[in-house]
Order: sequence, then C-alpha cells, then structure tokens
Amino acid sequence: MALRSLTVHPLRTILATLGVIIGVAAVVAAMAILQGMSARIETGFASMGSNKLFISPNIERRSGRMVGNFESLKLDDAAAIPKECPSVRIVMPQVGNSALVKYFSKNTTASILGTTPEYSEINSHKVGEGEFISQTDVQSGSLVAVLGWKIKRDLFGGRPALDEKIKINGSLGSRTFTVIGVMEEKGNVAFTDVDQQVIIPITTAMDKLWGLKSVNMIMAEAISPADADIEKAKEETKRLLRQRHKIRAGQQDDFQVQAQKEFVQQFATFQTIIGIVLGSIAGISLAVGGIGIMNIMLVAVTERTREIGVRMAMGAQRGDVLWQFLVEASIVSFLGGALGVLVGWGLATTIENLTRVFETITTAWAIGMALAMATSVGIVSGIYPAWKASRLDPVEALRYE
Amino acid sequence: MGTLIQINQFSKHYEMGDTIVRALDGLDLSVEEGEFISITGASGSGKSTLMHLLGCLDRPTSGEYWLDGELVSSMTDRQLAVIRNQKIGFVFQTFNLIQRTSALDNVAVPLFYARKTRVNVASMRALERVGLSKRASHAPSELSGGERQRVAIARAIVNEPKIILADEPTGNLDSRTGKQIMGIFHELNRSGVTVILVTHEMSVALQARRVIRMRDGLKYEDRFVDAALTEELTGEGDRAPERSPPPMARPAGV
Repeated sequence: MALRSLTVHPLRTILATLGVIIGVAAVVAAMAILQGMSARIETGFASMGSNKLFISPNIERRSGRMVGNFESLKLDDAAAIPKECPSVRIVMPQVGNSALVKYFSKNTTASILGTTPEYSEINSHKVGEGEFISQTDVQSGSLVAVLGWKIKRDLFGGRPALDEKIKINGSLGSRTFTVIGVMEEKGNVAFTDVDQQVIIPITTAMDKLWGLKSVNMIMAEAISPADADIEKAKEETKRLLRQRHKIRAGQQDDFQVQAQKEFVQQFATFQTIIGIVLGSIAGISLAVGGIGIMNIMLVAVTERTREIGVRMAMGAQRGDVLWQFLVEASIVSFLGGALGVLVGWGLATTIENLTRVFETITTAWAIGMALAMATSVGIVSGIYPAWKASRLDPVEALRYE
Repeated sequence: MGTLIQINQFSKHYEMGDTIVRALDGLDLSVEEGEFISITGASGSGKSTLMHLLGCLDRPTSGEYWLDGELVSSMTDRQLAVIRNQKIGFVFQTFNLIQRTSALDNVAVPLFYARKTRVNVASMRALERVGLSKRASHAPSELSGGERQRVAIARAIVNEPKIILADEPTGNLDSRTGKQIMGIFHELNRSGVTVILVTHEMSVALQARRVIRMRDGLKYEDRFVDAALTEELTGEGDRAPERSPPPMARPAGV
C-alpha cells in the first residue's frame, strides 16, 4: 500500500537510496573480510604455539626506513641461552633468504633456511624421507640440504631425490649440496609456506653461501605455556643478552624478545583501527543515504498532498499520516539495506576469489546489524517529512494541484 | 426526524496582507435529518468555505456548529477527525481516489481510520450498493469516470455516515453519467442519508428538494424547490434543468 509513489519512479528511488546501499554494502563486505582475516590469522597464531619466544635484532621503522643494529644477534648467543636461562627449554637460531635452486635443467625459487637440528622439534615438522641435518653437519658446515615437499616435487617429480646433487645460488656464488632428506608435507605454519623451503645447516649458510656474521632470528621455547614461565624466560634471555652485548644500565636493548601474546595484541589493535576506519566510512555513507531518503520522502509528501487531504477528510488523524510516511521511509531504507547486503556479499566474494588469500565470512549477525542500521536511517530521515505531512491543513491540501 | 445541523452566525475571515477577506459573514443554517439540499452560487460566494466548515475540515472564526447534538465548532483536531470519519462522507468533483490501488482497498480507507479490522466485507457491501461489486479489484486507471465516482461514493458511505457532502460531483462527467450518479444520491437520500450538494450548475441544484443560494458570504435565498423557483432559475441558467428519473428502481446498467 505504502510504496506506490516510490515504485512509480524506481530509478529515482534507487538513486536516492544509493547512500544506504553503499553504506550497507561497505559494512557487510568489510566485516566479511575482517572476519575472514581474523580467522586466518588466529589459525596462524595458534599454529605458532603459545610458548614460543621470538628474539630478533631491534629494528625500528623511522621515517619510512629501517634503522637499528641489524647484526646484533650472534650464533654464540643462541648457544649461550639454553645454558644460562633455566626457563628456556630449547633454542633455534636461523638465517634465511630466497634463492634459485637447480637440479640439472630444472630450477625453482625456494626459501633457503639455515638452521639447527632443533628445527624439527620446535616446528613439529619432521622428515618424510631420509634424515634431517645433524649437530655434526652444523659443526662442520657440511654442504647438505633437506628439501621441502613442494621443492622436491618441482625438481624431481616422482623420482628419488636422496643423494642427488643440487646447486644453490648465494651471494658468494653457486654451491653444490647433497640432498639428505625430504620433509613431510605441512602447509602453512605461522604465515610461512614451509613446503617451499630448503633447509641447510646454519653455519653452511652463514659461511659458505652468504657470508653472514650474525643471525636473523633466534626462536626459543619456554619450559611451559604458562604466562609466568614465559615472562621468566623473557627476563632471563634479556638479562643474558644485555650482558653478552655489553649493554650498560639505561641503554636500550639492541634486540627484541617477543612472545606470541604480543603479536596477538598488536593484531588486535590493528583490527580495532581498521574497524574504526571502515565504520566511519560506512557511517558517512549511511548519513548521506539518510539525506537521500529524506529527499525522496519530501518529494513524495509534496506529490501526494491531495491524497493526504483526502485521507484527512476520510478521518485520518495527524498521527495516522505521520505513521504512514514513517513506515514508508523505513521500508524503503530497509529494502536499500537488503540490496546493500547482496552487493556487499557479492563484493566480499569477488575479493575472495580475486586475491585467493583467505576466505570471507559473512555472518547472520553482520547482516542483521546492517539491516537494522539501514532501517534506523530510514526512520530518522523519515521523521521530518512525515511530520510535515501530518501538519498539512486539510483544506489547503484538498485544493492543491 | 430531528435537527441534524444547526449553524448560528457562522463567520470565516482570512487575512490576506492588509485586507481581511470575509468568506462567510454571519450565516445561519438549519438542516433536518434526511434532507436533500443543494448549495449554489458563483465563485467566491462562500459556498466552498461553507462546505469545508460543514464537513469539519476547518473551524469558523466565530459562530456555533451543532452537529447531531454535539458542539463541533469548539472540538479539537483529533475529535474533528473522528467526526469526519463517522458522521460525514465526502464526494469530490475530481473523485480523489488513490492510484494503483484496487477499488476495494480504496473504499476500505475510512474503515482503517475507524480502526476496523474486517474491512473487506464492509467494503464489498458498499461497492454493491453502488453497483460496482464486479469491478472491485480494478484500479482507478482501469475505470471510467462514472465508475470512479461510484467508487468514491461507496467510500463515502462505507462507515454509514449521516451526511454526504458532495462538491460538484457531476462536474467531470458527461450528462448521461451525471444522471446516473445523481440517481445514486437520490437513492441514498431515500434510505435516510442527508445529502448536501455544492454546485454552481442550476440543473444539478434543482434536483434537490431545497436550494440555498449564496452571494458574498451570506445566503440570500433559502427555499424549497417548486415550480416557481424552477421557472425563475431556468431563465437564469445556461440550460434547462434535466430532472433525473423519478425515484424508483435503480436504472439498469448503472
């Protein structure tokens, strides 16, 4: 009954509700993307393990550039930590870079990880075939490599890889490595595709491949996931490294020790900021949409002045007229919101398919909230036109051409 | 039959800039239940103003309006809306139906404002009284002028009001259809409804039983129609009055 005036000019109605449609679409798409991102990141954090510590050089971003002491962490630090810090159970230093890996005519780009035998335990990632690098390999800097599952597949296909020779290009030149093992398939661990790795002894990587004097990062595990133990492990590690690096009291650390919790908090802050930004955009669109709706409602009131007069002659109270137009405004914006939900869902799905990074999650809660917002916009922007309609003088309205 | 309408010293003044327009100036009027009255006069004579006041669409600047025993002239907007809904039915020259809405829904509008719930039955009954039950689902754009006015009349009577106020009801219709519409008014009047017609056409005015002629906000003649009046007005009017058929069975095909 109440939508006739609006169905007469469907294009006009859609243009006027454009703000609402866009605002709702933005909210729905943004929430779907955020939910998907969060889910993916939470899985990433969970696979990281909750009792891990990440020790890295203290590098800051200042005016767009990275500054700090890139070379503050030494291999000896990694050896000292488990000896001197009782709350630290196990330690794994690492260096890494991507490099070209060749087997005869086949080549592929892999991320080369130079590390120690502790890798298997810390990352719960074992060899599927052959052996992992051993303590001896690290001590003697032997030219051995363990291939990630995808690398083995890309270079060898179905043929055996053990004891074959591959070439790895480093900044010191191309070196030949013997394949001693192939890792089991694992997938994504803590945001890294570990199947795309080639693991070599850290000493080999530092001395023979890249000529490095320091390590990129030291991963450590506290003796338990309990907060107290993690804090103690952090404290002990910091104290030791300050001592080893000869940092005096009052001077800043030249390293960072972070537990997984801090990453989670950082991300939560990031999420909140994104949420606020998207919320503001949506809010502005909805406000614009509200103005659009107020506009067409005012036009509708003017066009139907005669009709309002007739209704009053039939016995309509002012409240009846006000209510009628308020309901119309709400329905229009609700429908705009429904259209916006469809657009937003389509947008999120398109982005999901284009980037293939993660899945978007559209919850019933998000849809319900978006529709509620749209309807409220309709109610608020409809109040003034509805009030105007109800204040018309019946005699004047009946005379209106 | 009691006095349905009693108006004492009605005045309606407007301020237009510096001047005061006296649309009505001290008018007295008395209407019994069941009368058939026409109010006639030239443009600006005040007949439209009187109609609006009779229909409780407006309040007089001064004067009293007793409608069915209640003092209406001092009622609130709220109360007036109820009176309009219950006691009065309007019929307009331009029909004023709601577009893209079926005849049935159009007729039901006053029922909604009366807070009734079972509207379709009453609405259909009103359409039957005007002979349009077969066209109940059609929208105004699908109806002829005569049919539209009949829907409007059905709408006006659906709440069974005491008074029908018609403003130039045949003004937009050809003479044949106009006769049919007037026939319906006669029939309604016979069933006890008081009919008050406002028109500037003498031929229509003379179909009532009592004619009130207005000029300059006052009535200068108020008498029952008889042969003498007819002859007098026939000379003044543009055309000979066309009397509708004597009140009998409903004309076929209306």
